[in-house]
Amino acid sequence: MADVVAKQRKILVAVDESEESMYALSWCLKNVVSENYNDTVVLLYAKPIRSAYATLDGTGYFFSSEVVATMESYNKEMAGSDMAKAKKVCNDFGEVEVEKRVENGDARDVICRAAQELGPVVLVMGSHGYGLIKTYFQLYSF
Amino acid sequence: MDKKKEVVMVGMDDSECSHYALRWALQNLGQTLSRSHLLLFSAQPLLEFTVDLINDLQENQRKATLSLLANAKEICAKHGIIGEMATEVGEPKEAICKAAEKLDIQLLILGSHGRGAIQRAFLGSVSDYCVHNAKCPVLVVKRPA
Repeated sequence: MADVVAKQRKILVAVDESEESMYALSWCLKNVVSENYNDTVVLLYAKPIRSAYATLDGTGYFFSSEVVATMESYNKEMAGSDMAKAKKVCNDFGEVEVEKRVENGDARDVICRAAQELGPVVLVMGSHGYGLIKTYFQLYSF
Repeated sequence: MDKKKEVVMVGMDDSECSHYALRWALQNLGQTLSRSHLLLFSAQPLLEFTVDLINDLQENQRKATLSLLANAKEICAKHGIIGEMATEVGEPKEAICKAAEKLDIQLLILGSHGRGAIQRAFLGSVSDYCVHNAKCPVLVVKRPA
């Protein structure tokens, strides 16, 4: 007698260092992940690439390669620790398949690209709840 | 003593996208829905006409909305889920967010027309508005092209 294999589903969760994305992850584990399906949670972390910084008064600064290298290794460490935190939330929840992806670039593009590639059943992300002005500064001043 | 059940609200109109969203939710979130209350919500847009016509037209609108919701309730029943119906008069995006807050909704599910940026600027987007203004988690279901 053939056993019915539970349908495989991918759930893409965008994580960063914020509390909001950890909350979104645990919400997702509680509400989206289901025993009726063979679910895989894919944790996606976007590492921003920064080589130039702009300040509010309009002048920009370019950093030397050593400073960039230090910042890169710091970012890598942050990604590692945030991923570990996210993985812990998943493990605490129980039996669920987890995959990790760390990509470089602007979070918005990275997330959309990954969603296109992986074809998950749902994309989960946290929301900072920024008002109009904070959003503007986030978007236009790196 | 029964733990208070969470309420999941699905915003509906007569579009194919919102019906797709409902079916998607019934298929993929079956476990969550079976342990929550499911609320099917549709807004009746405010009509601006002369006072004489308005009552008739509003009444027609109400009947159309209720039949839409009854249809949605049947779709839920096919999946073994009981859906409750609710409707309010007002602009859809505001009515949905207000109802979600008043009824302490735990999850709001909406369909998306998938319009481009320019069409959105002219016609507006209920799902965009709700994602930014609702206080609860919002699930926007996109129809495959």
